[in-house]
Amino acid sequence: MTLFTIDNVRKTFTNGEVKEEILKGVNLTLKEGELTALVGASGSGKSTLLTIAAGLQSASDGKILFEGGNLTEMNGDQVRKIRASKFGFVFQFAHLVPFLTVEEQLLLMLDVSESKINKTEQKRGIDNILTLVGMDHRKHAYPSTLSGGEKQRVAIARAIIHKPKVLFADEPTASLDSTKSRDVMTLLRDLTKSLNLTTLMVTHDEEILSNADRIIKMSDGLVLGR
Amino acid sequence: MNMAWKEMKKNKMRFMILGSIVFLVSLLTFIISGLANGLSQDNAALIKDLPDGQFYMSTEAEQTINLSKIDTDVQGKLLNKHKEAVAFSIQMGFLNDEDEKQQSVAFVTSTESQLFENVQKGEVVLDQSMQDKGIQVGDSLTSNQYSGKFIVKGFSDQKKFSHAPVAFINTEDYREMYRATEMQLIFVPGKDSPDAAKELEVFTKKEFLNTISSYKAEQTSLNMIVWFLVVISGMLFGIFFYLMNVQKMGLYGILKAIGVKTRTLFKMMWTQMIFITGMALMISITLSQVLNMLAPKDMPFHLTLETTRQLSIVFFMIGFIGSTISGIQIKKVEPLHAIQRGEV
Ligand SMILES: Nc1ncnc2c1ncn2[C@@H]1O[C@H](COP(=O)(O)OP(=O)(O)OP(=O)(O)O)[C@@H](O)[C@H]1O
Ligand SMILES: [Mg+2]
Repeated sequence: MTLFTIDNVRKTFTNGEVKEEILKGVNLTLKEGELTALVGASGSGKSTLLTIAAGLQSASDGKILFEGGNLTEMNGDQVRKIRASKFGFVFQFAHLVPFLTVEEQLLLMLDVSESKINKTEQKRGIDNILTLVGMDHRKHAYPSTLSGGEKQRVAIARAIIHKPKVLFADEPTASLDSTKSRDVMTLLRDLTKSLNLTTLMVTHDEEILSNADRIIKMSDGLVLGR
Repeated sequence: MNMAWKEMKKNKMRFMILGSIVFLVSLLTFIISGLANGLSQDNAALIKDLPDGQFYMSTEAEQTINLSKIDTDVQGKLLNKHKEAVAFSIQMGFLNDEDEKQQSVAFVTSTESQLFENVQKGEVVLDQSMQDKGIQVGDSLTSNQYSGKFIVKGFSDQKKFSHAPVAFINTEDYREMYRATEMQLIFVPGKDSPDAAKELEVFTKKEFLNTISSYKAEQTSLNMIVWFLVVISGMLFGIFFYLMNVQKMGLYGILKAIGVKTRTLFKMMWTQMIFITGMALMISITLSQVLNMLAPKDMPFHLTLETTRQLSIVFFMIGFIGSTISGIQIKKVEPLHAIQRGEV
């Protein structure tokens, strides 16, 4: 089932006098329970497309359709609400909050998403997710004491603790060595299936592509398909 | 979740440094304003402790108390009109105690009034501080300008003028000493509008205090120090939170990306500001009040709880302004900020 539609999205950056069109009318649909990989040369506009789809920056033109609404027509706070409750994010770096423990990172996300579940259910949910990503034994650790791979797994846990519909990942394995990146990849794929997520992931890693349901290639601001 | 608290717990050192600077600055502010108040009390308690009202001086005196001479007819009219009004004069001079030691005093005489000590010819009532110098009731004091002797009738609390203890004497004695037939000043208590009279100039209490030489100079410079300290503490807050915020730009970006409201981030900063200011003020208020109680008698230190309360409110306001101005960056930071710039 189609859950997310990117319809003729354009993005123009103005650097002083120079106008540059980075996205030249991108069309893309994402399906529930599918992991879509976005590949392409450096500078082809992958990150730009992902962040626009995720409501982290605005499009110059076009529509982002999700659950009957159009993100490009919403105001800042409406988009924020959707990001907080319906989207999850994983980036190249974990971007954890340095003064919160692993458990607190997830509690914060539950707070932000304004999930209505009570304290005991929150605790249970956190334990479940941490077991899922294999970090239950470091529940009370601060980020500074975790390895890169561990941090990334906590970041993934944070991205899914509030049961989002869509998971956006921009080169989530780029800062990891090959063993760890394979682990993280498998994890993302398994989570997509078990939680029925709609996942859009940018990656450079050819090896990873075997995990994807669909591979979309971008070139010079346009989707080529594959 | 209380992120403000969690952050302070994790970075105790950082926040304790800010707290101790705020503590030191606020303590210094309290002490200076205690001194300012103490000095003004020491300088002019005689006038300061009068109720609110109007002071009259002769216009020709051009705001110099010593040169003022109020015409007896004018005085009579004014005193007739206002039952509580009082005419009085002040002159600096010396009294010699029984050991022939010279004591500098301010001689004050007045018409009959509740507001001043009224004494008989040859008697004197002195400010309390003279008792600490070994003078007792019944002692007889002399003055180079006075033919007879002054018998000490008693002491009166907190009567100072121009940093000298006040000596209340009878009008007849005063006339003999200073060869003046007219009074210098008239005081009309109450908030009524002043009586317009060509030959008289009217002052509010505050204006009148400022005509006392040294009072204005002292208070202006001390108050300036107090306000400087207040402004400095505001800037401290601003700079501290600015530096912290600059370090945390990436964090703010990522928090915004996952959906944290900008308002929540501001609240976090305000909570920290209020907590630190509160703690620092609690300690400095306690210490300054202890100092207030323990200060030696001849140290002019007088810090009221009212002044402390007002200054504390000012500290909170200035902390709020300082941190909020530096927090404008929080509003500006984009969710993408961190993501495009690598690790937090
Ligand atoms: N804020 C911006 N202002 C101006 N130009 C930008 C901005 N963001 C991206 N660009 C430009 O848009 C183009 C595409 O950038 P984008 O980050 O989407 O590429 P990418 O496909 O993700 O590349 P990579 O694989 O290297 O991450 C680049 O040429 C980049 O310089
Ligand atoms: Mg990119």
